[in-house]
Amino acid sequence: MAPHLGHEEFFSSLSDLLSKTSQKARGSVFLTQKPLIDSTASLENVSSSSRPSILIRATDGNTNAPNPKNNKVGKKTVSKVKLSTIVAPEDLEAFYTRYAEVCKAGMTGLKKRDRKKGKAKAKGGAKAAKA
Amino acid sequence: MPYLPTSQAYLEQSALLLEAYPNGTRITTKYNFPSSQKPKPTEESTTPTAPIASLTIKTYNPTSGICLKYRTNKAAEVGRLITSLGKLAGGANVAALGLGNAAAAPVAQAGGDVEMTDAPEEGTGSAPAAKTEGNKGGKGKKKGGKGKR
Repeated sequence: MAPHLGHEEFFSSLSDLLSKTSQKARGSVFLTQKPLIDSTASLENVSSSSRPSILIRATDGNTNAPNPKNNKVGKKTVSKVKLSTIVAPEDLEAFYTRYAEVCKAGMTGLKKRDRKKGKAKAKGGAKAAKA
Repeated sequence: MPYLPTSQAYLEQSALLLEAYPNGTRITTKYNFPSSQKPKPTEESTTPTAPIASLTIKTYNPTSGICLKYRTNKAAEVGRLITSLGKLAGGANVAALGLGNAAAAPVAQAGGDVEMTDAPEEGTGSAPAAKTEGNKGGKGKKKGGKGKR
């Protein structure tokens, strides 16, 4: 597993991953967040002291990664994209502001707020009213 | 656990879950395109339909096995959702999420849920009752409703 990235690096890689997926219009991007519990520190310390850092992971869930069962390494196999970063509790707000921006910019495959549709609806409504 | 109807319900429930199990609860956001592509080339003349992606958010706690999900395909929701996830990650409780009915604290949660699930049932129950009323000439709503059920 690759080491955790810095925030800037993570964001640039993530926006790259998202835009690539959106361009291809297929595949998925998985983003995971969970509290990072340091297993070396005693449990009591962690729970009683300040909030834990948050571990953020991003992956494309690529299942074309080489299957351990068949040993031959195909040419097509593209390795799975894995990104991760750690956010300290005090950085959470700033990080998530950026995070939301990156996601908004990258997830272009979603339905946009369609103004034309609204107009069409209004027209339809007017017609219906006339009839 | 199935999908929750609104992002607000999802966020509220997730906040409660995180409150109950702060450790080991994870939130997964999945941005994906539909995998099954229908034969495109035959119908390409009509409309260049780009598949619409969807965004699924899942809160899962392995210890309790509780899983909460919400799915949307609206780009307008992304920013708000991610920001809310940040608040959840920071350990915000239901009130701190700044949702509409934040005043309806965790205690009122169960009651709110019951109301939500009950409402449509009553609606469907009364609709046929009203119809029968029209046909039979109004023999009492409640009786008609009971008979239907």
